[in-house]
Amino acid sequence: MNRKSFYAALLGFIVLCLVPLFTHNPYYIHLVETIMIYSILLFGLDIVVGYTGQVSLGHAGLFGIGAYTAGVLFLKVGAPFWVILPASIAVTGLFGAILALPALRVSGPYLAMVTLAFGTIIQILINEMTFLTEGPLGLKLSKPTLAGFKLNEVTFYWVVCAVLALSLVVVHRVLRSHLGRAFEALRGSPVASDCMGVSVYRYKVYAFVISAGLAGLAGCLYAYSEQYISPNTYNNELTVLFLLAIIMGGRKTRLGALLGATIIVLLPKLLDDLDAFRVVASVLAVSMLIGAVISIVRQRSTWQSMLVPVLGTAALAAFSFWLDNITDWRLSIFGLMILFVVYYLQDGIVGFARSLMGKTGSADAAIALPAGHSEQAALVRATESKEEDLLVAQQVLMQFGGLKAINQVDLKIKRGTIHGLIGPNGSGKSTMMNVLTGIYVPTAGDIVFEGRSVVGRTSSDIALSGIARTFQNVQLFGEMTAVQNVQVGLHHTFKSNFLDVALHTPRFNQEDNSAFSRAMSLLEFVGLDSLAFEEARNLPYGKQRLLEIARALALDPQLLLLDEPAAGLTAPDIKELVQIIRKIRDHGITVILIEHHMDVVMSICDAVSVLDFGQKIAEGKPAEVQSNEKVIEAYLGGNAH
Amino acid sequence: MEILLQLVYSGIALGMIYAVIAFGYQLTFATSDTLNFGQGEALMLGALVALTLVDRLGMNYWLAIPLVGAFGLVQGVLVERIGVSPAIKIKSEFGWIMSTIALGIIFKNVAENIWGRDDMRFPSPLPEAPIKLLGANVLPMELLVIAGAVLMMLAVEFFNRKTIYGKAVVATFNDRDAAKLMGINTGLVITFSYALSSLTAGFAGMLIAPLTLTGATMGAVLGLKAFAVAIIGGLNSGMGIIVGGIILGVAETTTGFYLSTGYKDVSGLVLLLLVLAVKPAGLFGKSAIKKV
Repeated sequence: MNRKSFYAALLGFIVLCLVPLFTHNPYYIHLVETIMIYSILLFGLDIVVGYTGQVSLGHAGLFGIGAYTAGVLFLKVGAPFWVILPASIAVTGLFGAILALPALRVSGPYLAMVTLAFGTIIQILINEMTFLTEGPLGLKLSKPTLAGFKLNEVTFYWVVCAVLALSLVVVHRVLRSHLGRAFEALRGSPVASDCMGVSVYRYKVYAFVISAGLAGLAGCLYAYSEQYISPNTYNNELTVLFLLAIIMGGRKTRLGALLGATIIVLLPKLLDDLDAFRVVASVLAVSMLIGAVISIVRQRSTWQSMLVPVLGTAALAAFSFWLDNITDWRLSIFGLMILFVVYYLQDGIVGFARSLMGKTGSADAAIALPAGHSEQAALVRATESKEEDLLVAQQVLMQFGGLKAINQVDLKIKRGTIHGLIGPNGSGKSTMMNVLTGIYVPTAGDIVFEGRSVVGRTSSDIALSGIARTFQNVQLFGEMTAVQNVQVGLHHTFKSNFLDVALHTPRFNQEDNSAFSRAMSLLEFVGLDSLAFEEARNLPYGKQRLLEIARALALDPQLLLLDEPAAGLTAPDIKELVQIIRKIRDHGITVILIEHHMDVVMSICDAVSVLDFGQKIAEGKPAEVQSNEKVIEAYLGGNAH
Repeated sequence: MEILLQLVYSGIALGMIYAVIAFGYQLTFATSDTLNFGQGEALMLGALVALTLVDRLGMNYWLAIPLVGAFGLVQGVLVERIGVSPAIKIKSEFGWIMSTIALGIIFKNVAENIWGRDDMRFPSPLPEAPIKLLGANVLPMELLVIAGAVLMMLAVEFFNRKTIYGKAVVATFNDRDAAKLMGINTGLVITFSYALSSLTAGFAGMLIAPLTLTGATMGAVLGLKAFAVAIIGGLNSGMGIIVGGIILGVAETTTGFYLSTGYKDVSGLVLLLLVLAVKPAGLFGKSAIKKV
């Protein structure tokens, strides 16, 4: 958080705390309180939806679990507030972990349905387990006592204020740390995350647990705030409302969550009042028109693309004057809003406002660059060992159905060399890479890396043991900046846990600073330091390939697999790439290079293996391989005479 | 024993309904890798339109079937054009998930405003006296459900295999880009698959309506459980959804009877979570090899 937004947040918080002094109307106090409680939940939902990019339709269920944990502990056990609050977080977090279990195996629409099923089950259970929850009758609570002091409406409001501020700080810190980067990396490319040693499995669970914990916290506060809870609150409509809030406010910003919460709390109230709705719909239509005109004048969009939203809001305004009873059509209006936001306001209100002001999303750009890096700081020397072979593959067989993509291949990679792997398209080179990094498990055969078999281990485990890679189809974390991409590769350098991050302990600060400067020097090493704060997806193709190399080097690998690094590079760029690969080797890092540019392969490789139709047909020094008849035949076809 | 057999009968009838809805999921998933999260609402609309035709306008149940089918086609086209095709264009998974959910909400709300919030009885087109089959009672309507569901699926399969239009659909199933290059209007095929999918859902609604109560809220849980069936059976297996549907249907009627009707819906959903945790491709599905 930079200074300006910190003071803005502080000011906002003070104003929020002063609300009860300005109005003594309990209705308004309760309204603002509800907004704050929803905000806490939305901070958590944003971790799942905005950062890891999964659709969760189960958050109303989690919210309900938090509320009922509080209700049941209060009524049946008579536990005090300071026990109930953490208990709600813990119990809901546990359910989050349960929800994450099937979610680990699936994503996208499957996950959406699974979470929907979870939410439905929770609602049924709350209804049916009457011995615990009193079923449809609901539970009654009274405001808690804190340190011998019975809280009333206003003092409880301040408690909620404090909890909101606390969770805002914690969530913000978590998302700005290596944990947040790991979550975002899952969204960008799960495969690449695994190959950077960031276990998709573990961090998905982590994200769900944190998210659920916040939902539980919100649920607990909600129970005390309403003083009455019943199963019907936690239905699927509420879930959809939460999602609407996140995407409407804006993903990946805390301000967006606050804004979204305000909208979904005030909207139903607004829809109770037809006149107010007419005013708002008219204002919306006019401001949409103005916004469209501005963006067309500034040439940010064409009139064709603006036509539908302008007409849509105008139609909504007209519709509002035609209606005589708005409450019945509430859900349709929510539905229309979702459609509108999904197609015309993808970055939410916060994102839209930013784009109007012409600001890009990355706030990190202001950070001053620490100067004076050397390559020595960028690369860590590979460990020395007497063992000559770093990696030994024996009789590796990879079968897809009837197709043998790799057929009984032996491979010995000598420590500290550049080993070329060539062959015509479809000869099994990339499959070999995938087998080596644990993406595929070989059908038969064994691969030993530094004396340990890699077969059957997870990709992230293999990556952490020292095998880094780049991808033939670039697999960057697109929405993250170049330097953040490299920082994901440095994830393994962090020992800090959740508490270190939340409290910003010296350990975390030290690790975070050193990771940042390491990342910068790695970018300098591949010549991308000037583009450090550019989003990866906006880099030109050749630069993306270099960024992948920098990210892979961040793992401090013993073995680096480069899958066609020169593809799409211009001739001068290729020269630079060759220099970079040589320097990497000079640091003792072993390289396996897949490449179609024969001049590159022949000039830098110490040894070359040739694959054809999944079989190794030749191996040796570049010059030997080049004159091998089988190789010439494989490349040129037929009998070479 | 007789009770158990009876439960199995109604479980099979229920399961066939799930299978038909799940079949609808498969149709759209095959052509475009998308699903209509409002599939249950398509079913509900089919049932309610049928109710209006049969109950209010006094139309014959059998004659109403093609009309409901036509309504389903239109509704499916609407969903695809508004909710799915813009999302496919911008390659946003989040987009189509949210917009089909939104459309489902809108359909449900509109139905509430037109037909009211209360559940209604749908007059049965067949005699309501149970008949004896292998020593247990079975409703004629349940037999109709089973026959209708199988016929519906066979008809679509026949269309896909034997007609040139069907071949275009199958080609798009297999490889969308290649089909496009062969001059097939894949956009139209996807729209068509949605139309077919809503048609089957509407038809399923008409089949199940006489066995249960008809109302705006009938679709949501049915759609969710049919998704469970599609997952249990596998999203690309025709046999799988029938077996999956029967497993789920029987599991539900038996839990409903032996445990408590309140928990009846839980069994299917727990089954869904279990299958996804253990074998995400489904019991009959083939898991795809991910390419890197």
